[in-house]
Amino acid sequence: MIQFLLKRLIGLIFVIICVTFITFIMGYLAPGDPIHSMMGQHFNAKLYMQLRHLYGLDLPWYQQYFNFLVHILHFDFGYSYKQQQMPVISIIATNLPVTLELGFWALVLQFLIGIPLGILCAIKANTWIDTANMGTALFLYAIPVFVSAVFVRFAIAQIDQLTGAGWPPTGWGDPWQYTWPDIQTKLAPILIFAIGGAAYIARLARTSMLEVLRQDYIRTARAKGLRERIVIYRHALRNALIPLVTTFGSSLGFIVVGAFFIENIFNIHGLGSITMTSVTGRDYPIIQATVLLLTIAIVLGNLLSDILYMIIDPRIKAE
Amino acid sequence: MAANLLEVDNLKTYFYTRSGVVKAVNDVSFTIKPGETLGVVGESGCGKSVTALSVMRLIANPPGKIVDGHINFNGEDLLEKSTEELSDIRGSKISMIFQDPMTSLNPVFTIGYQIAETVKRHRKDVTNDQAWKRTLEMLDLVHIPDAKRRAKSYPHEFSGGMRQRVMIAIALACNPQLLIADEPTTALDVTIQAQVLELMKGLSQKYGTAVMLITHDLGVVAGICQHVNVMYAGHIIESASVKHIFETPAHPYTVGLLQSIPRLDEHHGARLTSIPGQPPDLINPLVGCPYGPRCPKVQARCRKEQPELMSVGRGEQVAACFYPD
Amino acid sequence: MSIQDKNTEMNDSGELLSTAPISSPDQYLHENPLYVDNQEKKPDQQKSLKPFQQSIRRFLRDKRAVISLGIIVFLILLTIVGPPIYQHIGIPYTNDAGKQVGPEVYHNPFRHDLDFADKPISARFWLGTDSVGADLLARLMQSLLISISVATAVEIIDILFGVTIGVLAGYYGGWIDQILARITDVMFAFPGLLFAILLTGIFGPASDLFLDKLPIIGQYGNARLIIVSIAFALTSWPMMARYVRGQTLQIKANQFIEAARTVGSSDFKVITRHIVPNLFSIVIVASTLNIAGTIIGEAGISLLGLGVQDPGSSLGLMIAERAQAIETSHPWEVLLPCIVLAIIVLAFSFLGDGLRDAFDPRSKD
Repeated sequence: MIQFLLKRLIGLIFVIICVTFITFIMGYLAPGDPIHSMMGQHFNAKLYMQLRHLYGLDLPWYQQYFNFLVHILHFDFGYSYKQQQMPVISIIATNLPVTLELGFWALVLQFLIGIPLGILCAIKANTWIDTANMGTALFLYAIPVFVSAVFVRFAIAQIDQLTGAGWPPTGWGDPWQYTWPDIQTKLAPILIFAIGGAAYIARLARTSMLEVLRQDYIRTARAKGLRERIVIYRHALRNALIPLVTTFGSSLGFIVVGAFFIENIFNIHGLGSITMTSVTGRDYPIIQATVLLLTIAIVLGNLLSDILYMIIDPRIKAE
Repeated sequence: MAANLLEVDNLKTYFYTRSGVVKAVNDVSFTIKPGETLGVVGESGCGKSVTALSVMRLIANPPGKIVDGHINFNGEDLLEKSTEELSDIRGSKISMIFQDPMTSLNPVFTIGYQIAETVKRHRKDVTNDQAWKRTLEMLDLVHIPDAKRRAKSYPHEFSGGMRQRVMIAIALACNPQLLIADEPTTALDVTIQAQVLELMKGLSQKYGTAVMLITHDLGVVAGICQHVNVMYAGHIIESASVKHIFETPAHPYTVGLLQSIPRLDEHHGARLTSIPGQPPDLINPLVGCPYGPRCPKVQARCRKEQPELMSVGRGEQVAACFYPD
Repeated sequence: MSIQDKNTEMNDSGELLSTAPISSPDQYLHENPLYVDNQEKKPDQQKSLKPFQQSIRRFLRDKRAVISLGIIVFLILLTIVGPPIYQHIGIPYTNDAGKQVGPEVYHNPFRHDLDFADKPISARFWLGTDSVGADLLARLMQSLLISISVATAVEIIDILFGVTIGVLAGYYGGWIDQILARITDVMFAFPGLLFAILLTGIFGPASDLFLDKLPIIGQYGNARLIIVSIAFALTSWPMMARYVRGQTLQIKANQFIEAARTVGSSDFKVITRHIVPNLFSIVIVASTLNIAGTIIGEAGISLLGLGVQDPGSSLGLMIAERAQAIETSHPWEVLLPCIVLAIIVLAFSFLGDGLRDAFDPRSKD
């Protein structure tokens, strides 16, 4: 098992290096001359050279890449192009907790809603409960998150009009605070964010559970005289959950991407929105930093789900 | 004479499918005495497994259903019992082991856990320590070496033969009166087969457990059974002591089965005998004897009337044939 | 974005029970879990069809998939023949300057005329107009054209690269396989949309300047679509390659491959004659589902403002234009593209599920 972990770790490092390289190269190849645009009207050849040297832009690419890596290890993502002297890290620092909170709750809710729902539908397979839920799940899963977000925002606005509730359709309260106004702003985005993933997980859980219920060892459990409740919740469930663990990594990918849309539609100032602002503002270091952070999160998420999988399935442990 | 342990009367188990109603078990009656080993023989699809599953009330409903008959165990009709009562009986009074040991054990629990689980389920007053002790006893009983250590291992760490022994250990842990074994050795190598069968025979003799052994292999039957039922197309078409079945088979199907076993001492170049024709259609059973289309001795009467089991004049041997040997 | 879990192979159906009738009691009994008799497959008593025909039959029985296919075909036709026809339908009117304005003008998706902004559904504007006076139906058709074009381009590359490399990796193993595994690992870290954001964010504006000189592309930010397509293609082919590789390994394990080899067929022949035709089913299913993802992705990118630019049309762009103001006015202008997008995606999803169930019935319950 240790060898497996080591192999995985090496693979992980390789992936992270590739990811950092790709992000770096994008920045390096980016068209336009940032120093030039930074200086704008006040172009001065001497200052230009100094600034270039300051930003390390006069070094060959591999050295720039090396510096890039070293800086990252110190959580230094360089300085913004647009807002001079502002380190990228401090610009992102306000947005990061917001996205973290949004993503965290969405991820947790996905599994909390999806797994029990899927298991329930598997147990009641082919009854109206199953059909209704799976039908809705298919629907919710296929519709892209920004479409459902738009509908929800619209719905909130309409309900506000009809009932005068005054529920704010956009914005975000304070990160990780849960007073009533905070909840008002956070509930809808988190829910709609989680719902698509929950639908996917519910379908997966249902398939997995159904597959497990067909297995011989379930028949053995019944033949042993175990009560049905125990057969399902002890014998079947544990096996059914194993494949679900591996979806953790891809769920994270879904969350990362979806965050862009949720933040866009609900006017939430998280990593996604700051990335978009940096795109329009051609502030490449910020784009690099956010993309890097997000991809590393995904890679770590995949690693985590692999580790979890190894822990849960005794067949893998032994290898 | 001791009362019968198991009496099955006119059992009918049907499966309702889109193509029609499959009459998998179509009026089957037999008995098992305490401590007796009964062999149930027949080709694929003849209904032997469904009969066993019906006795355990493990038929999936839908699409299967026990539509008629009685299953009297110790004088009580299992068909009238509630789910709770049945779950009390399964594993403690009647146990079952299945064909494929590779998939019959839960991969995420240790085998010790799976054995102890049965004990704790059926003996409420037993402590965890006592259950574990019993588990180790059972493992010793089925000849699994190094029981203490192996009890903490997972199923995938065992070979097929050993897994089947674990299944036997689970099945016998609560000392059932009847053990149903559905093709327990079919998936195993021949040498392991012999070991497992010897084990079952020994345990049955030692604890007085009755055994219902289902198989398509007549050689297996010869080794450990006292009485044999031969099934075809959802019916029992012959029932006799093992001696009579092998020495003086009555029903043409039984005769055919015995003849089709290849023998080591056949002369070189001899052709293998097989039973001609197609397996029977369980959805639209024919009028008359189900074996008629393939029977070498078929007569006009066979096509019109269905023969019941009747004595052939040799002790308790009965066969469902108008023209038995 | 469609989620593709790298450890989930194609059987993640979670699908409703198949409506396919059980063809024979033996087949039923063979599949029923609690009835374990030592069944061997009885000879199939129906006249046997080639597996491909059987799959087609199974597919046709899935009503939802067939309807979805119909909708998709309809939308494709609409996109191709719709605009020319639409631009001939309608009565010319006289504008303030006294000129005649005919349908070829006012049914043009790129036309702006604030006099007609935000008009509701009418005889002249079949689905109403948007905030700058462009006909919504015309814009819709243009958007669909963009969606379909991007999806097609991406899928072609996806299939070409994915199948080629996947087959080679599966057949030869060795270093090709290793490299494929490494590349896939890296690509998994980059969800398609993120990569597209990265690429369009950095190269987008430049591409607008340079690439719009190319003939077909033209202006309106369509140049960025090339980048978007590249981004999506780059992130989807590893997945396809993995599926193909897995399928190749399965096929390779079949005895008939060994037979072909022993007869002396060259590797090339074995691959092209035996393996590739058997990949058909998995490639079709994977492609269909990937197309759904690409369409969503393109809409998403355009919604974020990184794809098609004004006055071009994209479903995402149409949504974004009014999304922020949805509380105040004209919800129809947002809801229309949302509904159309939802329909397309559902149609492709159902189609993909139906195809998968048709080709591999074992993957459903």
